[in-house]
Formats: sequence, C-alpha cells, structure tokens
Amino acid sequence: MHTPEDIDRIELLHSPIDPAEVARHVRADQDGATVTFDGYVRNESHGRRTLYLEYEAYEPMALGKMKEIGAQVHQKFSVHRVAIVHRLGRLEIGDTSVFIAVSAPHRAAAFDACRFAIDTLKGTVPIWKKEYFEDGAVWAEGELPPAPPPAAKPAS
Amino acid sequence: MPHVLPTLRVNVLFFGRVRELTGIAEETVEISEGATLADLFERYAARFPQLAGFRASLVASRNQEFAPWDTRLSPEDDIAFLPPVSGG
Repeated sequence: MHTPEDIDRIELLHSPIDPAEVARHVRADQDGATVTFDGYVRNESHGRRTLYLEYEAYEPMALGKMKEIGAQVHQKFSVHRVAIVHRLGRLEIGDTSVFIAVSAPHRAAAFDACRFAIDTLKGTVPIWKKEYFEDGAVWAEGELPPAPPPAAKPAS
Repeated sequence: MPHVLPTLRVNVLFFGRVRELTGIAEETVEISEGATLADLFERYAARFPQLAGFRASLVASRNQEFAPWDTRLSPEDDIAFLPPVSGG
C-alpha cells in the first residue's frame, strides 16, 4: 500500500529545480488535473533593482515543516500527489525558488491545495531570503510563524 | 566549597539576520538545569545587546519544533531563535 511519503516529493535542493519534471512526478492516470505554483526571482523589490537572492534554511526543520504541509494537504483536500520543492543558495533573476505541484481527480481540490501549500510554506517554513541590490543587501521582511501557547503544567 | 548549580548542555543555532548579528551559526552552551528558552535568550541578549530588541520578532524552536518561551531545556536540545521566515 502506498503512503503519501511514497508518492509525494518534498525536497530542499541546492541545485536548479526542473519544474516540468516535478509536475510529471505528481501526474497519474487516476487524476484529472494538476495545479502547479512556480515561484521565481523577480527583478525588483519595493522599486529597487534586484541583482540576485540568497536563500538559507534551517534545513532539517524546514524539511520537517514542508512534510507537515504535505500531510495537511492530504488531510484537508481530496488530492492524489503533492510535490513541494524549494531551492537554497544563490538564485539569479528568473530562477525558480519554489515549485509546488498537486494532482487530483478534480481541479477544485488541486487549486485549493496548491494555494494552501504555498501560503502555509511562506508563513511557517524556516527559510530566509536575502536580497542583493546595487547599493547593498537586506533580509526580506517575512512573516513570524505563530508560537505555540505557553507549555501546559505537566500532569501529575 | 562553593555551591555549584547543576548544568546541562544545549546546542544553539542562529539563522538569517540573527546569525549575522551574533556572528554565530551554531554553538554548544552550558546553562543551569531548569532554565527555559527565555532564560537562554536573555543570556544572548546580555552578550549581544542589539539582540534584545529583536525578541518580539523572533520565535523559538526546540528540536526542530516551534516552542513557547517558557519551555524548559533538556540536555542535548537543539535550540534556535528564528527571525520571520521569508521562503517562497
């Protein structure tokens, strides 16, 4: 029996992402649709011309959080396979930084799942982006992941 | 003979702007038994005064899971103080 871990693809790469190959990975005859999200490096940020970006991650935690997103996608939506691939290191303008593909029997679940996956990734996965400009570099502002509530008193 | 409090060792990691601010990517430190994530952060805030103002915009993790500031440390924990994330 296949588990999501067998058929999904959740990866951090230090090399270029091949979007077509990732999209093919999720596609199967029982599906009727694949929705993909291709996130790539824009040539400007707040009106400043971007030269390139550098991404770093807390890799074991980032991979764990990406796998959690994959598991949540299967719980929440009627989808078949999920691929979430994020690239790290130096990326040039136009390079794909993140690619998500979700296959499903019907399109609505695939659209919803893909949107959920990228939104959740951007808010919870410990990856950071530094933007390099002609006159300096800044860490992108980002989102603070929600902290869990204070620890409960241990039960006696 | 001086009274010596028992200590434990934890591994501390920094990323992004906080790594640049402290100049530390990873180190092992000793701290008193019973110390919390907040106590450990206060120690770094004393060592790096610029870090103190960052606390409201950091989230702590223990062993690769987000953790509340009152979490007590255990030996060999991997602790990180994470700035706002900006993947994607």
